[in-house]
Amino acid sequence: MALLELLGMGQKGWGAYLLLATVTTLAVTATALAIGAVLGTAIAAAKLSHSRSLRFVGHVYTTVFRGVPELLIIYLIYFGGSSGITAIGQWLGYDGFLGLPSFAAGALAVGIISGAYQAEVFRGAYHAIPRGEIEAALAIGMNRGLRFRRIIMPQVLRFAIPGLGNVWQLSLKDSALVSVTGLVELMRASQIASGSTRQYFLFYIVGGALYLVLTSLSDRVFNGAERRANRSMSGATIGRA
Amino acid sequence: MPGVTRLSVRNLRKSFGTHEVLKGISLDAQDGDVISLLGASGSGKSTFLRCINLLETPSDGEVWVDSEQIRMIHSKTGSKPASRRQVDHIRSELGMVFQGFNLWSHMTILQNVIEGPLHVLKRPKADCIADAEELLAKVGIADKRHAYPAHLSGGQQQRAAIARALAMKPKVMLFDEPTSALDPELVGEVLRVMRALAEEGMTMLVVTHEMSFARNVSNRVVFMREGVIDSSGSPDDMFGVGASPAFRQFIGHFGNQQ
Amino acid sequence: MDFAFLSSTMVTLIKAVPTTLILFSLSILSGALLALVITAMRVSGNWFLTGFAKAYIFVFRGSPLLIQMFLVFYGLGQFGVIRYSFLWPFLREPMVCAVLSLALCTAGYSAEIFRGGIRAVSTKEIEAARSVGMSGFLLVRRIIAPIAFRHALPAYSTEIVLMMKSTALASLVTVWEVTGVAQRLISQTYRTMEVFLCAALIYLVLNFIILQAMSLLEYSLSRHRRPYAAPLRA
Repeated sequence: MALLELLGMGQKGWGAYLLLATVTTLAVTATALAIGAVLGTAIAAAKLSHSRSLRFVGHVYTTVFRGVPELLIIYLIYFGGSSGITAIGQWLGYDGFLGLPSFAAGALAVGIISGAYQAEVFRGAYHAIPRGEIEAALAIGMNRGLRFRRIIMPQVLRFAIPGLGNVWQLSLKDSALVSVTGLVELMRASQIASGSTRQYFLFYIVGGALYLVLTSLSDRVFNGAERRANRSMSGATIGRA
Repeated sequence: MPGVTRLSVRNLRKSFGTHEVLKGISLDAQDGDVISLLGASGSGKSTFLRCINLLETPSDGEVWVDSEQIRMIHSKTGSKPASRRQVDHIRSELGMVFQGFNLWSHMTILQNVIEGPLHVLKRPKADCIADAEELLAKVGIADKRHAYPAHLSGGQQQRAAIARALAMKPKVMLFDEPTSALDPELVGEVLRVMRALAEEGMTMLVVTHEMSFARNVSNRVVFMREGVIDSSGSPDDMFGVGASPAFRQFIGHFGNQQ
Repeated sequence: MDFAFLSSTMVTLIKAVPTTLILFSLSILSGALLALVITAMRVSGNWFLTGFAKAYIFVFRGSPLLIQMFLVFYGLGQFGVIRYSFLWPFLREPMVCAVLSLALCTAGYSAEIFRGGIRAVSTKEIEAARSVGMSGFLLVRRIIAPIAFRHALPAYSTEIVLMMKSTALASLVTVWEVTGVAQRLISQTYRTMEVFLCAALIYLVLNFIILQAMSLLEYSLSRHRRPYAAPLRA
């Protein structure tokens, strides 16, 4: 079968190429999720703060980065970042065009978007903590730092797991758009393979199938994590003598 | 040390917006006092309790704990404590038991009990655990120490919450309707623990609807009505002939259930 | 700030808004119709139809829209059957391909949302309808659908905003909607920030209008949850 040969690991096959690109997709998404976690925490904190101007900043951030097409944000970071770096290069005496590395630009762009969604997830998770448990922390004399570290953070993480699972899926699919920067992740690899073999249908189907494998596997991971985190919540009789 | 004033509240006021809930309350608790705060819902008794450890910020008045005054700043825009650190310190000296237990759901019972001593008081972990196990045995749930709050009955959770408050070795214990959220058959086990505590000489301030507790365990009964103290005195006086008409009417609602 | 540049950019971008709106409205309309079919299959009780609907939803929600769009745009033309069929003059059009893949994709997401709405209809309400003799299509049309639609509306509003953003991908199959024109301007002028701000503003305004319209619809459909106000007598 000629088609199978195309997908094989051999010299004529694109199998290894696609698998490597799948790993790149996972790496971009994971980096984006980490960047988004930092941004999302800061934005959620801003939205929950007592300061009116901080709340406004948080509101603008989530409105813009959830409301504007992902593609446009990728252009902003990739082209904007490159012009920025080129300007710095000229200032340092280098005359050519300097491009932002596509991996960094892609992860940053998807991370910024992911941060907007994560901020909403964290904010929701914070509101899910029973008020009484925070009052109990106050009543026992915990200061702000201790309250955050011992009572709020662990519970926010637990309540955020399902939402973070959704954001991960979203970012995984958004990462396909990073292909416009030339980064050879799964989408771009499918494009290159299909273009050079003229087997468009085959390679887009295979690329799509690999995405389905990624999304359904990560679904399982997050469901497992949710079950683990909720052990203390279920009515199950764990550890009962 | 009988005769030592553990808690002193002077002319405490609290308003929510334009609505004044507490209209100048004064109260002293000597060492070993067990004071029951009674009153209809809306009389301000829970708000009063929550003002003592600043879960609500009093609009005016003074709170002294063991002759240390909580410093407040009063201004036109409202009141706030002068020092967060002092508030945290005072709170660590006052044990609070809530109506809804408020155990931290992500921690086991033992972790709940050692959390305060370990992280707020920064005591050695081994000591904290030894103390906690003793307290859990005392409130009768030693076997539940590795269970999570969600796995316990309401009565067990409330006893765990009492152990959590006691682990801080508080100077005064504040109880905010500790049995109101419990099924009737679970009330007894919590009241027994509270009674034992009173007999050991713990200074306690208890907002409650349990007339038997007010009558038989406390040495002073304070009846609040519409934001002021209507009357107060020993249980014998209050439940005897000297009761105020309002208090008599109030206890009338409870019938002769005791 | 270079206002001359900003305003000329804005004018150029606004000229592309009709294309974005056509993409949006055609794909929302056909996507919603397809979603109704998929939802009906999903709740049909027939193992084959249910299985098909499940697979459809899994595939279109689990893979990126871009790869679906490229599959339609580049993949279909590979087959002689399609190339020489009467459909080819349509399927050759980037606009048709873009709308087709947007509609196929949103149908997967919307079907899941509609099913959530149906599951929120209480069995008591259905029993009550059966007790007055309703069944079949009448039951669906008069009782289940109106209640399910009200439940599904908030989530569906979110999906519609996501679709507005998704129309941007059509630029990658050469449909010159707002994002595509913005990208062209950026690569011509290298003034990324200004172009981005103009394009972002357009999308935010469009989203705002959509959300206002949806909440108006939600409000007009939620009279039963508002406090009772006696009708005014003429």
